[in-house]
Amino acid sequence: MTEMLWNLFYILVFPGLLFCVIAGLLLAGIDRKVVARMQRRIGPPIAQPLYDFLKLLGKETIIPRTASRTMFLGAPLIGFVSLIVTALFIPIFGFTAFGGVADLVVIIYLLTIPAVSIIMGGAASGSPYAGVGLSREMVAIMSYELPLVLVILAISRKAGGVFGIGGLTFSMTQIAEYQAQFGPMITKWSMIPAAVAMLLVIPCEVGNHPFDIAEAETEICEGTLVEYSGPPLAVYKLSHAIKMFIMSALFSALFLGGAGTGMLAVDALIFLLECVAVTIISMSLPHAVTARLKVEQVFKFFWTFVAGLAALSVVLVWFGL
Amino acid sequence: MIQHFPILAIMVLFFGAFFNLLLGKKSRLIRMLIVLASTGTALGLMLALVKPIMIDGGIVAYWMGDWAPIADFAYGIGLEVDALSLFFGLIITTAVFVSGLYSFEYMSHDDSLVNFYTLYLMLAGGVLGLVLSGDLFNVFVMIEIMTFSAVALTAFRNDTFGSLEAAFKYLVVGSIGSSCVLIGTILLYAQLHTLNMAQIAALLPSNLTPVTIIAFAFLFIGFATKAFLFPFHPLAADAHAVAPSSISVLISGVLTKTGVYGIIRLVYFLYQNIGEQSVQYLLILVGSISMFVCVTMALAQHNFKRLLAFHSISQIGYVITAVGLATSLGVSAGLYHAMNHTLFKGLLFLCAGAVLHQTGSVDLDDLGGLARRMPKTTILFLIGAFSISGLPPFNGFVSKWMIYQAAYERAWMGGGSLIYIFVTVVALLTSVLTLASFIKVAQSVFFGQLPEKYKDVEEVPFSMRAPMWLLALLCILTGIFPDQVYQYLIGPATSAVFSVAGYVSAMFGSGYFEISISAEYLIGYWNPLCWLILLFVVLAAVTLVSLMGKKSRGKVREEASEKSDPKYEPFYGGEASEFSQVGGSDLFWGFKHNLKPYLTFMHNAHSGVVNDYALWGVVALALAILFAILWL
Repeated sequence: MTEMLWNLFYILVFPGLLFCVIAGLLLAGIDRKVVARMQRRIGPPIAQPLYDFLKLLGKETIIPRTASRTMFLGAPLIGFVSLIVTALFIPIFGFTAFGGVADLVVIIYLLTIPAVSIIMGGAASGSPYAGVGLSREMVAIMSYELPLVLVILAISRKAGGVFGIGGLTFSMTQIAEYQAQFGPMITKWSMIPAAVAMLLVIPCEVGNHPFDIAEAETEICEGTLVEYSGPPLAVYKLSHAIKMFIMSALFSALFLGGAGTGMLAVDALIFLLECVAVTIISMSLPHAVTARLKVEQVFKFFWTFVAGLAALSVVLVWFGL
Repeated sequence: MIQHFPILAIMVLFFGAFFNLLLGKKSRLIRMLIVLASTGTALGLMLALVKPIMIDGGIVAYWMGDWAPIADFAYGIGLEVDALSLFFGLIITTAVFVSGLYSFEYMSHDDSLVNFYTLYLMLAGGVLGLVLSGDLFNVFVMIEIMTFSAVALTAFRNDTFGSLEAAFKYLVVGSIGSSCVLIGTILLYAQLHTLNMAQIAALLPSNLTPVTIIAFAFLFIGFATKAFLFPFHPLAADAHAVAPSSISVLISGVLTKTGVYGIIRLVYFLYQNIGEQSVQYLLILVGSISMFVCVTMALAQHNFKRLLAFHSISQIGYVITAVGLATSLGVSAGLYHAMNHTLFKGLLFLCAGAVLHQTGSVDLDDLGGLARRMPKTTILFLIGAFSISGLPPFNGFVSKWMIYQAAYERAWMGGGSLIYIFVTVVALLTSVLTLASFIKVAQSVFFGQLPEKYKDVEEVPFSMRAPMWLLALLCILTGIFPDQVYQYLIGPATSAVFSVAGYVSAMFGSGYFEISISAEYLIGYWNPLCWLILLFVVLAAVTLVSLMGKKSRGKVREEASEKSDPKYEPFYGGEASEFSQVGGSDLFWGFKHNLKPYLTFMHNAHSGVVNDYALWGVVALALAILFAILWL
């Protein structure tokens, strides 16, 4: 009984629903503020994403006549929920809520569900803008998938060389253990190219500048989201914020792990600070200083430069470095 | 009693074909009864064998006419059903049964249905006979039966554009494959004086002469043709695109499996040379090339069924790659994926059939917005599409995830090399490209805008949806309960693959070989049931929160007037409103733009001329012989 209550607590409060929502909105707020300061604007208050979310919740939901209703309304919900569930599998230093359920590869695949839900929602709206948007979203997914996969393979070998059976591990827990013993992954020089590649993958996966080809407000009016309004749009905006958190949390868990302090509250705080740092470096900074790339440029950039960096790490690890 | 089941299962299908031809002309009901009875009995007999073979680990050996071996030499025709054969037999009979159910309504508008069902039962019997047979020459006979019925069925709707052409291509290149199997069989018989597979398996490894080595090349190419592996993939594309959908299910889900089965028997049993690095590389290379080439070809298609056809070869590429890893995890993953492929690809072909049946078109550029007219088919399609793209928690994910692990693990074992890392990356990449092409189908067939001419399209009747739901349920169940599937189906089949000695001794009562199986372990964790529970808890919580916060605001008003008023049309900056400016076949131009040289090359290479494809086949055969001479 107590165990069940604890599980419910994990799901609903601490690394689950409530924590994700708060952390996501916080990161989104910080991101906007930092970008504004970099561009010499004052910027909105940190809580602005929360205000936006609450305001959207109160608005009317308009369903276009060309839309297929169930999918149009169901897609945002599925995407949001699967994001929250994914958050449960990411370790915070030594702590994982549900460690044995999913591994690194599964997490990467679970993260495609929200992307697919955005695509399906856009497709269900029947709008041509959404059609263009989902095509671009898919190209973005194809672009970052290759480097992401290579990064995972490199990490799996690096950590598995010590812990895993057969010299490999995809287990998040073991990756965290490795870092607790041998220091953060980013301090291993053979993993630095992979870390850089991952930092470049994050904005593309989240859909931030300069890789926000799928939303591209100035060209295709937010693409897949063009027909959304009211609560479904609020859910998408929230999912976007949470995705920022999850991706930076994934980076922190994979590259910035460590022994931690042993106290969960302090660990969680440090973890959150790491996430803020990752957000600023990988999302705010490029956002402030770059313009949007073209669709084919994004694809080319990821399959050559970023994938090259990640492949370099794999090769270095292959030679036992 | 039990040892008669395999031959009964085969005979019941052939007798069904015979009686159908004799009595089927009378009425639809008789045809339905005959088809249902024979396919149902075959399925039942296969299911009855699960307990003795899969769970108790037995092998059913059967000598036709009781011609048992004399002095340890096989003269009669033998049937031998081990867990591997039964595994494929189960896949086959399930697909055949479902396809038969679907056909009744789907084919109701065609004529000469007696011929259709006769050919269909012949095809089913041939395929089942192939996997249950213990005799190499019988394998060839069954290949001929199934190939010729498949060719005839491809051309069944011979009023459709391209169907005769496709059948002709299939006939020509398929015959090259069948002849290769025949030549390989002849060479083996000349050397070993036996056709019994168990006996060949016992004799061959110690009798590797230049002739038997060449025979390997012939048999390999023969089975590769049946699996439509690269470079035989264009055939499948042509054949699937024009064959009736219920037959596409069989060609894609069942015929290709016989090729996979043949290759497994060839390298793990007859020659037992899978331990050699060169053979592993051969399989992995052929598999990865099929995987990648076909998925990129699929991305460029604008015919729904053609696209599915290329995907089936891509998925078979996964299976062959996994089998070529030669670890027990690899083989399990390959078999699991083979089963899943039959389920989800069957489902997708049936969906394509439903669309074709209701709209008369499978052109992606032409269709659109059907989700509003056919919502149930859309859901079924999405289940199939997510399964094949390997999204959790559907079944495609489980098997692909096992394949990634097996391939990556192999890279760090003894004798591992960078090639395995490369294969892992190709497999992971192919998965995302698969997702992309199914997003394309979803967008251009089921979502987007509904063209005027499809305004009154109806949902398919229940009699067609029921078989689709059957496959969809199996897709979900095999995705959520991988442990149980592994325990009862995949595990026994895998250990059968690694126990040649058992296969031989079941026929002759004497064991020659011992191949040790390495203990199986997974380096990853995936518990779909647990994930689903978490998903539902969060879903419930979110729904609860949103319900509490909901004010009753009344229903959103919908515009009552159906009259087209320009005021309600989307604004496109002055142009006339049209469908999505990016057509179905060109949805991912950002991707295609970067791979233009490659795609142009591929486009030109697939000329559609049968002479070219036959040439590819001959070149592949030459290369295989060269391979055999150099490395075996």
